Amino acid sequence: MDLDALLRCVGTTSCVVTQLTSGMIIGMLLFLIASGVTLIFGVLNVINFAHGSLYMIGAYAAWTFYQLTGSYFVSALGAAVAVGMLGILFERVLMSKVYGSNVLMQLLVCYAVVLISDDLIKIIWGPVPLSMGMPPEFRLPPIRFMGGVIPPFYLFMILAAMAIGLLLWLVIVRTRFGSIVRAAAINGPMVSALGIRVNLYYAAVFGIGSALAGAAGALAAPVRSLTPGMGFSILIESFIVTVIGGMGSIVGAFVASIIIGLTRSFGSIGFPLFVDGVMFLIMALVLIFKPSGLFGREHR
Amino acid sequence: MAGRWRDLGLAALGLLLLLLVPVFGAPPAIRDFIMFGMAYGLLAMSLNLLIGYTGLVSFGHAMFFAAGAYAFGLAMQSGKFSIPGAFVLAIGFTALMALIVGAICVRLNEIYFAFLTLAFQMLFYNIILGWVSFTGGDQGLMGGIPRPKFLGIDLADRTQLYIFCSVAFVVCIAILRQVVTSPFGYTLRMIRDNQERAAFLGINVIMVKLACFVISACIAGVGGILLTLFVSGAYPNFGFWTTSGEAIFMILLGGSNVFLGPLVGTVILRLLNDITVTYTSHTELVLGIVILVLVLGLRKGPLDLLAERWENRRQAKAQAVRDAADKDAQAGRDA
Amino acid sequence: MLKLENLKKSFGGVAATRDVTLDFADGSLSAIIGPNGAGKTTLFNLITGRFPPDTGRILLAGENIAGLSQRRIVRLGIGRAFQVASLFPTLTVSEALAAAAQAHQRRETVLRSPFPLAATTKQGDEIMELLGLTRVAGILSRNLSHGDQKLLDIGLALALDPKVLLLDEPTAGMGPEERWRMIETVQRLWRARRMTLIFIEHDMDIVFKVAQTVRVLSYGSVLAEGTPDEVRTNAKVIEAYLGKSAHGTAGQGATA
Repeated sequence: MDLDALLRCVGTTSCVVTQLTSGMIIGMLLFLIASGVTLIFGVLNVINFAHGSLYMIGAYAAWTFYQLTGSYFVSALGAAVAVGMLGILFERVLMSKVYGSNVLMQLLVCYAVVLISDDLIKIIWGPVPLSMGMPPEFRLPPIRFMGGVIPPFYLFMILAAMAIGLLLWLVIVRTRFGSIVRAAAINGPMVSALGIRVNLYYAAVFGIGSALAGAAGALAAPVRSLTPGMGFSILIESFIVTVIGGMGSIVGAFVASIIIGLTRSFGSIGFPLFVDGVMFLIMALVLIFKPSGLFGREHR
Repeated sequence: MAGRWRDLGLAALGLLLLLLVPVFGAPPAIRDFIMFGMAYGLLAMSLNLLIGYTGLVSFGHAMFFAAGAYAFGLAMQSGKFSIPGAFVLAIGFTALMALIVGAICVRLNEIYFAFLTLAFQMLFYNIILGWVSFTGGDQGLMGGIPRPKFLGIDLADRTQLYIFCSVAFVVCIAILRQVVTSPFGYTLRMIRDNQERAAFLGINVIMVKLACFVISACIAGVGGILLTLFVSGAYPNFGFWTTSGEAIFMILLGGSNVFLGPLVGTVILRLLNDITVTYTSHTELVLGIVILVLVLGLRKGPLDLLAERWENRRQAKAQAVRDAADKDAQAGRDA
Repeated sequence: MLKLENLKKSFGGVAATRDVTLDFADGSLSAIIGPNGAGKTTLFNLITGRFPPDTGRILLAGENIAGLSQRRIVRLGIGRAFQVASLFPTLTVSEALAAAAQAHQRRETVLRSPFPLAATTKQGDEIMELLGLTRVAGILSRNLSHGDQKLLDIGLALALDPKVLLLDEPTAGMGPEERWRMIETVQRLWRARRMTLIFIEHDMDIVFKVAQTVRVLSYGSVLAEGTPDEVRTNAKVIEAYLGKSAHGTAGQGATA
């Protein structure tokens, strides 16, 4: 517990800028993953407990593409597309078989997928942590801002995640695809009675959610070490984000991700041992006072 | 009443069989297998009280397993407690933790419940990892758990430890049996089947769920204590999410609608583990594939399928009784 | 026994119940009729506390129960069966009734075993006898015929020893002959238990033959109330609810 350090940090702009940036990159990674979880839940009414694995696969795929092409942008895009396709496969072959069943069966399918993908990662990429290193595109002098230092890649990450989020929001709110998806979220059978092939939309939503996780993995690859099992802790945090923001709400996921990101970065200075505890406290308070989350619809 | 005597008789018989193992000088490997099986068996059996009997799909049950283990281990290492004292303390701690976690979680719907229990488990796991000075972090509780004599029992002796664990195990199974066959156990089934209707019969659904959650956590805690005594240590992976996942898998393997199903599942999983380990280092891959085959193929545990058949046969008989009665009634009306 | 005073309830600005005032005498057998969407089921939901009324009072034996929790209201003696039978699929008929009885008697103990306790078995057996369910005692609720499911639903409510029993369309989804058998059973249990019984029904023949008093709801308010004869000849009812074709049915009911 070192609240003095926290106070000292808040007193200097350089420290605030640094912590804000690191909080934002944590938050934006969480946002990409949580928005996938929340989108899939909102439309399909299932929780994808294997979402963290998709993030992990995205990171490893980006690593491999980067080794092959040497271009970070190509590999990030490739990872997102590949994980998106994998997500569609996962949905069609496995998840769609247990939509009608109880939560236990969905949980078990996801559990199996997590086990299998962790082991496959070990088989394909080896158990030793990998690191991608900073791609040459971003080997630029750091940006100085109000006394703080911001690595260019961090800025890119934050902006890219925000752009993806904005794009997702526009697709859902403004396009025909989005309105069908929103309708399917409220009443799937009704939409399918209108002659729309709901299954295709379900697969598409799962694919988009997965691609978001893949993109998050690709964005994390240069700044995180790649290990089998890296998806799990971020999965838990993305769940916390979805609970705080409200299941099914993209805006909620965005706001809650920033809350959690900043709690993490500033908390690591002031109360490093209690960061997890504080995150859970925030979640518990939201659950007690507004169980549907900050931006969630009331429970159906 | 007959059912109760039969159950007690079966429990005594089970205990006798367990106690006969050392008498016949079974190899240590078998005894170890049974000891592990008893500890994890209690985890799976207690979890099934939630999943199978109450419809509460918890993905965080291992946190109570670890809570019992660590509380007991730390109490013993402090040197201030006898074994029974530490036992009671550890169960009390587990119950308190379950009360807090449960109070937040049992009010939520099925999906929220599943991943909030998962999330709390990760919080607990992170505390174990982070609080190195107290819990030893990722090294676990090292240096062994002291096992002072009490009431003339010396748990440092392998055979006496085995007997102690067997008795504790059978007592816990008997307690679980009592819970599921008691009126309270049928209240749990009502909640599983239709909680809105249960509330409409005046049942306080949240309190009943909470009580069930605490009972189940305590039994899991005993499982953790047994494991701690057995391995003379406590490790963070007792409370890792994969341990909860394994417990759920044991229930699937055995069957959630048969009382001893999870125990059978425990044995199958441990055998499966031991067999795959000898052939490949990729046990997770094998387990994952087995789960997918079971879930997508059978959709139920093997024992559940047998139980279902038996139930169908009984139902056919009951329906024959009804049809005969209805025929008589119809004849009466026609006349 | 049960008095509703100026009950109002709206959902998102749409009034489902507007200013309903009704009085159900102790030990009476009353029917509530009205076209679809008239607010009949909403009225039951208000009485049983599924949601509270916006304004108004619900008096059970003179005591206001509006705004109490569903559970409290059940404990005070209002039982209810549902339009779509709400059961416990994996319990047999005798188990379900004993379990309902033990909930009412507060005998949900862990310490005694095995289920069912003698006291609850006895109560369950009486209910099975009364409703003619003894022949299906060992059948799982999910395997029952539609008619038996509706009976069991009523049985679960009876296990609470209610002072007031609300039946939401007891004959829904039944053929003509089965309907009459059901309504005879309802009459029988009303006589046996001497409770205040209120049922929602669409079949006019049944309503006019069985009920002592009839209340007609339309668009969330009370259109008419009185004895079957009074209601049948009420001009407003004929115009607003019975219409031309239904009038014929009602007439047949009178001569039947």
